[in-house]
Amino acid sequence: MKLKQIVEELGLEVKSRVSNLNKEVSGGYASDLLSDVIANAKKDNIWITLQIHQNIVGVATLKELTGIIIVNGRKPEEETLKKAGEEDILIMVTGLTAFEIIGKLYRMLGGC
Amino acid sequence: MNREITKVQELAYELTVEQAMTRDVVKVHSKNRMGELREILRINRISGTPVVDKDKLVGVVSIEDFIKCLADGEIDSFVGDKMTREVKTLYEDEPLIHAVNKFNKHGFGRFPVVERSSGKLVGVIAKGDIIKTLLKELEINYHEEEIHRYRASHIFRDIIADKTTLIFEYDIAGQDFKHAGESASGLKKSLARLGIPPQILRRIAIATYEAEMNIVIFTSGGRITAYIRPDEIRVKAVDSGPGIPDVKKAMQPGFSTAPPLVQELGFGAGMGLPNIKKCADKMNINSVAGKGTEIEVIIYTQGEK
Amino acid sequence: MTLDKIKKILNAKVIVGSDALNADIKMACGCDLMSDVLAFVKSDSLLLTGLTNPQVIRTVEMSDIKAVCFVRGKKPDKETVELAKSKNIPLLLTDFPLFEACGKLYKEGLAGCSEINE
Repeated sequence: MKLKQIVEELGLEVKSRVSNLNKEVSGGYASDLLSDVIANAKKDNIWITLQIHQNIVGVATLKELTGIIIVNGRKPEEETLKKAGEEDILIMVTGLTAFEIIGKLYRMLGGC
Repeated sequence: MNREITKVQELAYELTVEQAMTRDVVKVHSKNRMGELREILRINRISGTPVVDKDKLVGVVSIEDFIKCLADGEIDSFVGDKMTREVKTLYEDEPLIHAVNKFNKHGFGRFPVVERSSGKLVGVIAKGDIIKTLLKELEINYHEEEIHRYRASHIFRDIIADKTTLIFEYDIAGQDFKHAGESASGLKKSLARLGIPPQILRRIAIATYEAEMNIVIFTSGGRITAYIRPDEIRVKAVDSGPGIPDVKKAMQPGFSTAPPLVQELGFGAGMGLPNIKKCADKMNINSVAGKGTEIEVIIYTQGEK
Repeated sequence: MTLDKIKKILNAKVIVGSDALNADIKMACGCDLMSDVLAFVKSDSLLLTGLTNPQVIRTVEMSDIKAVCFVRGKKPDKETVELAKSKNIPLLLTDFPLFEACGKLYKEGLAGCSEINE
């Protein structure tokens, strides 16, 4: 499934620009603990979290994730967005809770 | 006594059949022979059982059906041919009160419970199950805390004064993550005994817990004092820690100065003070860098926020 | 949804509260930051988290959450289990990561905390 499709179908608010919205998403990973994501997320995963600190971009870059969905309508810090632009990591925001957006995304990805 | 009955009725509407039923059901398959049925009834000491076809409930068969087959010499016939097809059932998601009504109406000893969507047999419910479940709920609701609660809730009425205030004090050790939260827990329990309604109790508990965590995370220790009056509760958290350099900034959701170690504990995501504010009817912060912080939370126990 | 059904969907092990499986869970929340749990979660819900320290139980106690499910097979330490026992808070353990656990429960119809008004 392409990043673009996820953004459109879930009505996510895009906060940073990326060069390629046609990137393939391999699956989802949800966690608010950076160490957990570093240990367990897989390449091209989309990451669901409510962390907004700029460190999330560093983790996403390290793990080669496609993008980050920030939940509960929290606003990412300016530094985070700036860094995301530099690192080509897509930052998206939803007003839904993690449980709900994961539920919808899980269904889209075919429960893989 | 009157109150107990109302509570039981309330529970009968609140609880579902699924919560009272027995899940391990003795059952026979429609392709079983009547001869095999006898063994199943005998081993389990029951007088009848539901009949299934691939998990789906298709009928019931009883000892009478078996006796009839015995008399007619049809002991080798299939259960499916001799069973009663019209079965009164309950759905797993129905309120318990429906089950009570059905028992009264039909006078049966038990009902099979089927899943509404699939018709799958998921359990069986007897009158005794309902009584057991209601009693257990009542016990959970009442027994343990009831005595404490009864004694404590009369304090305000029994004290003769123009104004009464109870004061609870809790000492908080800094950096002690093992015991962090015990003060908020103690306060919550005590206030519950005083009869504070759950929704208000929850707000006080959350605000106190966040204030307690702040003391544990950022300072070398402090004290939480709760002033309880019949109409309002004031919680004061005082520490002699480093102070908050920019209170306005600290009130923004997501702003945090906590080290990563604290984040891995699940705190320090910059939601502490905003959380306290969200729970409070009134909140005051007084912080002097290098000296300490004083947070006061006021929550009204009557009247809406 | 009963806790028992959640247990089955998540193929979970019950660590504390095997006698509480009939409890009715109205909604769920997946989160690792306890302050956010305190800010957003509603009572009668299930908390799914990868965090296993005693503060999780404290948070649950303060916000009247009904039960906890630890995800991705992470076992809670002894203190956490003891605290949960003393507060009568059921603990479940599933091998699924948070993403799959939330996805499966949502698919089976469990609501999230912003979908139900108290």
